[in-house]
Amino acid sequence: MDPTLKLFVSTDFNPDKYVRELSQNCIGGPELVRLRNKVQSLSEETSGKLKRNVYQNYIQFIETAKEISHLESEMYQLSHLLSEQRSLLNSLSNTSVLGDDKPVAVEVVVNSEDNKKQEEEARQNKLTTILEAVEGCSNLLEVSTRSLMHEGDLLELDPMENTPLKRIHGYLFNDGVMLAAWNSNRRGPIRYKFEAFYELGSLAVVNVRDLGNIKYAFKLLAFPDTRLFQSTSNSTKKEWLEKFDQAKKARLTQDQIKRESFAEKSPSRSVSIESPSLNPFEEAEEEVASHPEWLMETPEELDVYVAQRHFEDALTLLHKAQEYFKNYLPHHHQPDHTVLDLKRKVEQRHLAVTEVLMKELEVSPDKSLQGGLRAARRPVGLLNQLGRSTQSCKLFLKLCSSIMRTHCKRVKREGSVIVYIQHLSSAVFTNMCHMTEEFLRAFPNSPSCSSAFIVWASTELSIFTTHFIKQVFITQTTLSTLTECVVLARSQCERLCAYGIDFCYQLDGAFRTPLTRAIRDARDKVTDAIKLRSLEDTWIPTNLKSKSGLARCLQEHAKMDLLLDNYVTGDCWLQLTNNTLSFTKLFLNLLEDCLKLQTSELLYTIDEVLFDILDAQVKYIGQSLRSEKQVEQRQFITKNVDFVLITLISLAQKKYSTVVGFESFGLKRLVKENTALLHGVTPTSRQITKYSSNEYL
Amino acid sequence: MSKKPVTQPALHKVIMVGSGGVGKSALTLQFMYDEFVEDYEPTKADSYRKKILLDGEEVQIDILDTAGQEDYAAIRDNYFRSGEGFLCIFSITEDESFQATQDFREQILRVKNDENIPFLLVGNKCDLEERRKVSYQEASDRAKQWGVTYVETSAKTREHVDKVFFDLMREIRARKMEENKTNNGRGKDKNKRKKLKCVIL
Repeated sequence: MDPTLKLFVSTDFNPDKYVRELSQNCIGGPELVRLRNKVQSLSEETSGKLKRNVYQNYIQFIETAKEISHLESEMYQLSHLLSEQRSLLNSLSNTSVLGDDKPVAVEVVVNSEDNKKQEEEARQNKLTTILEAVEGCSNLLEVSTRSLMHEGDLLELDPMENTPLKRIHGYLFNDGVMLAAWNSNRRGPIRYKFEAFYELGSLAVVNVRDLGNIKYAFKLLAFPDTRLFQSTSNSTKKEWLEKFDQAKKARLTQDQIKRESFAEKSPSRSVSIESPSLNPFEEAEEEVASHPEWLMETPEELDVYVAQRHFEDALTLLHKAQEYFKNYLPHHHQPDHTVLDLKRKVEQRHLAVTEVLMKELEVSPDKSLQGGLRAARRPVGLLNQLGRSTQSCKLFLKLCSSIMRTHCKRVKREGSVIVYIQHLSSAVFTNMCHMTEEFLRAFPNSPSCSSAFIVWASTELSIFTTHFIKQVFITQTTLSTLTECVVLARSQCERLCAYGIDFCYQLDGAFRTPLTRAIRDARDKVTDAIKLRSLEDTWIPTNLKSKSGLARCLQEHAKMDLLLDNYVTGDCWLQLTNNTLSFTKLFLNLLEDCLKLQTSELLYTIDEVLFDILDAQVKYIGQSLRSEKQVEQRQFITKNVDFVLITLISLAQKKYSTVVGFESFGLKRLVKENTALLHGVTPTSRQITKYSSNEYL
Repeated sequence: MSKKPVTQPALHKVIMVGSGGVGKSALTLQFMYDEFVEDYEPTKADSYRKKILLDGEEVQIDILDTAGQEDYAAIRDNYFRSGEGFLCIFSITEDESFQATQDFREQILRVKNDENIPFLLVGNKCDLEERRKVSYQEASDRAKQWGVTYVETSAKTREHVDKVFFDLMREIRARKMEENKTNNGRGKDKNKRKKLKCVIL
């Protein structure tokens, strides 16, 4: 054996050469047949080993997948923890005594600090010049964040008559507009006289589109004043209007930021006001205007969307904002404070959205599962878009499990086991199919999720099989009931194959041990019955009392593919004992069940059981034959032997091979061992030898 | 103004209010220039003035076309304060815009502090009958409840466009005449609108 194996395993093994050598060395047919058998047995052994290896690999694969998904979830928990820590640190740094968002900005904007200082100086210089030029506006510097956005000469008109009133110099600050009248008697640097200051928050700017012959005009409505101005050209007017708009928007967002930061860390506010140069808002203002409006409103919009459960819109906005940040940051090496602040906020919202969606998916006792998986589609899809497919997958599967539990609980244990199993397996596998569909829809291209799903499905299946075994494999259940249940479960399990998930192997694997036991139990019952009946057997032909009775009996057996016409004598006699007939029935039923249950792993047990049962019956008949002295009676017994060994077994073999693909060894051995029984007594024309050759080898 | 002898004809200040996209600007432009602007661009705040003949008398109409949304309530109040009459527009194809008229009405009444302020409820886009969401009955019921007139218009077909502006101006004119009487009669306490006028003068 060993040298041959080594030969096969070696890399330069050439089958043609090997065969040629063999045929050269061997003398005669028997030698060749012997060698062939040897090779055959080798191949059988190898295929058996291969099978075992595959099975072991399969188990290992499942375990690995489980382990991986376990690890994955741990990683997620870790990342979640980390992000929590980060947001905690962020909020901690925000609430520090230095006030405002400075600490966050410090690290990033160290280099721009000088710039900012310069800008701040420029701002103050500017304001000081205004202060010098305009008489009576000494409180201009009182507001530390004030900066000039636009200025220019305007002609004020009478709002009713449209007649010119006076020349005005307008200053637009980030918080309001100051109007100063021309000073007719100029002294020194003071050119204008302070007239009015209007807060931006209550100033309505109206673009005058049509005022007869007056062009380039706009109105300021600041209750109780209505003031009409004319600028020098269309472009200057446009500039004014645009600047007003910008200032207003910047102020609006700033108000919101203030409101937020106020709510977050009110105690630290006062510090920054005392030291104007430390306030980040002044510098931000110029840049604020350079960001689109929608971006500034993104965090609030997101909150609104989440509150209104418009998750899709929230997601679109989120992506838009992230895209903006992505494009923005590389172009600006020192991201300004506003962007960083916004980015942080958007990221927080991102987490918040994720959390809300995960909540949505979470299973809790007070939540109804009415919507089922359909209801989960939306959050799952959105979480996937957020890049949290593993988490959503986990939650999705959890949801599936709980739906499965509820559905299984709903299946009531009433009536026969078969009905119960029918309902239960239908519920389990219909749900599985449904969930697979949903899963494939939700996670179409995600290998990691798919493996998690397989593991989940496998777990679900084992839960089902465990329950099944507890319910079905009990001593009271007959083999045929059991068979029906198993067949039901198997056919349901095959539905999953349509989705590319074949769990039949696992199912069979789970049932193998209990099934083997159940089949052996059935064998023991039958052999007990054989023993019991043998004690009562009187060895007389069966009297079926009437012609019609005989016909009925023949018909009955014909249905089982047994033709008993040869055994008929007289009107109502059958040359087979009652015992033989009932054994036949019992055996065929058992065979039927076994064949329904058969899997390649169970085949050995089935073979063994069939052999044992027939063996018991044949032994009993043989015993009777030995103790019988009368020739006539012996002939009668032989007839029964013949029936069992030839007719019944060949029928059984036929049935067996149609299902399994080849004939049963056990039965063949039985026939072979007992041919003497036929030969010894009736050296008839029957050719028994035909069965002893190994045809299929 | 009307009580003062002026070189300019009487000026009636009309304010267009309503949600975004209901056709305030379209109505205004149709009235002003007889043109229908199809493409939509949100208005900030535009004002127009035109000389017209109102029942044989030359008057000026000043139309303030406001923004559908205004971030600052104080600014919106300023618009309303400057008006003498209001066209409250909604789109008959959009129920939300109709619901919003309730808010506009309340804000105007609060700002003007006057239950009888010249006011017309206008259901615009009546050429889009097949997309109607607000029934005539529903709208005229609300108008009745407020004690105002309800008119359906189409800035596209110009249906009733002149009517709403002229009707409103007549109301404003009648109102001013009545006020003058009471003012001349017994120097009534000055309401907010009065104060505004004083400043202008």
